[in-house]
Amino acid sequence: MIPRWITVAYFVYLASPIALLFIGSFGDLWLNSLLPTGITVKWYLEVAADPNFRRAFMASLFVAVMTSAACVVIGLPLAYAVFRAQSRRVRAAVRVLYQLPVAMPALVLAFGFILVFSSDTLPWLGSIWLLVAGHIVLWLPYFLQTVVADMQRLGLRVLEDAAETLGSTPLQRFFHIVLPALRLSVLSGLIIVVALSIGEFQFSNLIAGFLNRTYPVVLLQAFYGATGFACAATVILLALALIASITGAFAAQGAARPSVAGDER
Amino acid sequence: MTDMPSVRVEGASFSYPGGKAGVFDITLDIAPGELVVCIGPSGCGKTTLLKLITGLLPCSAGRVWLGGEDVTTASVRSRQCGIVFQSYALFPHMSVWENVAYPLRVRAVDRAERRRQAEAMLDMVGLRGYAERLPAALSGGQQQRVALARALVFKPRTLLLDEPLSALDAATRISMRDEIRRIQKQQNIASLLITHDRDEALSLADRVAVLRDGRLVQIAPPQELYDRPADAFVASFIGRTNLIDGRVVAPDAVDTAIGRIVTPAHAMPMGAAVRLLVRPERIEPSSKETGENIFAATVVHDRFFGASREIELSVGQGMLKIDTTVRGAIAHVHLPRQAVQFLPTH
Repeated sequence: MIPRWITVAYFVYLASPIALLFIGSFGDLWLNSLLPTGITVKWYLEVAADPNFRRAFMASLFVAVMTSAACVVIGLPLAYAVFRAQSRRVRAAVRVLYQLPVAMPALVLAFGFILVFSSDTLPWLGSIWLLVAGHIVLWLPYFLQTVVADMQRLGLRVLEDAAETLGSTPLQRFFHIVLPALRLSVLSGLIIVVALSIGEFQFSNLIAGFLNRTYPVVLLQAFYGATGFACAATVILLALALIASITGAFAAQGAARPSVAGDER
Repeated sequence: MTDMPSVRVEGASFSYPGGKAGVFDITLDIAPGELVVCIGPSGCGKTTLLKLITGLLPCSAGRVWLGGEDVTTASVRSRQCGIVFQSYALFPHMSVWENVAYPLRVRAVDRAERRRQAEAMLDMVGLRGYAERLPAALSGGQQQRVALARALVFKPRTLLLDEPLSALDAATRISMRDEIRRIQKQQNIASLLITHDRDEALSLADRVAVLRDGRLVQIAPPQELYDRPADAFVASFIGRTNLIDGRVVAPDAVDTAIGRIVTPAHAMPMGAAVRLLVRPERIEPSSKETGENIFAATVVHDRFFGASREIELSVGQGMLKIDTTVRGAIAHVHLPRQAVQFLPTH
């Protein structure tokens, strides 16, 4: 009985701010009352028409996509190297790397970037590519973690050994075995990266130039204006993150149970 | 070429960095069509030996020949060993027939021919009609058959099986055991099977190789291994034993804790410390109370298994285990003289 009430209370605690945002985004007037009056979609139309938000939306997508691409190009070979690593020192170093984004606040990374890239030799502060670079540093470890864990779960090492004894070359093994076996793991890793990247505020707020501020950064400004407008803008961000995490959950489920795909064939 | 064994391992050694584990100075031949079963406790180096033959591990000393060719330094893929891994190692994203046809795919056989050969192999292992399934949709025994078909489809020089039955339930294990033997005989391929199960070893093998701490202790046909084990370790690893320590008192007698045992004639010096082996099923309950090697006994444990009983007896100052079909009470036992063997003492 008591655990159930705790669950309900926790759910209410979790859901009520989101519910309020949702209600607020469709409310016409919201001044000094518990709930807004009137129903409207004008706030969504206003957000969609606002050039600042449109630009920020595109900037966020651009950063997320570029970070994802970098995760595949850099992260996949790196994950493979980590997975095959024999030495204990390498494994210890990798464990530290995994924990780094948790231990180190994005704020620290941002200050570091400001120090280095505001100098005359590297005057790149404000460039969107610098923003991408920072996001890679922040999210690559999450991608690695996901993919390396799946490599271990799949027993990729033995699969490769088997393929090798059956006569395949290293290149054939990579394209016939490693890549196809990992495609769902890569997908679920990327969705984590996209979800984290889209919602990131601390680092982007300090590093982004005025013309390539990301969505969460611009969102903060909205709260100085009309409440309904701010709510609608936030709901859009929330929807993006939800889509990413739901797709991610399905991809992860598919990766864990390849037989499901088989039964459908 | 015909006189050459299909597989020859000569003085092969490998040690893992840091630890003492590995294999040391292993010499082993497998004749064409022969099935050698390698058995030993876990960590004795069985899988290491298999990896040395496949090339997945390099020999630190010694040589490996396959089909008369020295492959000691050859690459894994050029050695053409068909391997069935303990976990089967089927490719999860490929259908059953694609798995079986994979060795042909990397050998650039065209798709229609691959499909034809894979189907033929699937027929042979009794999996007709399963070609389009994914491995995850098969039972353990069926996955095992796919792994076997995949390991044989490219006509390898040898078939190596790494604990192929350990992941199966008891009933499947016995039928799969016979199935492996049937297919291995039909293909007439030199094979090495690794196991830690003595029933599997004795019932499957043409010869059994016993490994202990990375060394080959004895290699012999199953009956010879059981009847004339090289030492106490082999004797007890391969079957139930009575190991009796004693001291020589005559050219055909040894004093032991259970009494004076008359043995086959031997050449040991008087007073030498010896260890005797008597298999439990060779000891008979006796109706006579006196005579050669007849001892008074008291039952300590009596386990009834239907067809037989395993009984532990207190005899003199020692203990004896016997396996018997006799149902009644037991007061005396008889150790036939020819059932008594000497084992080397280390």
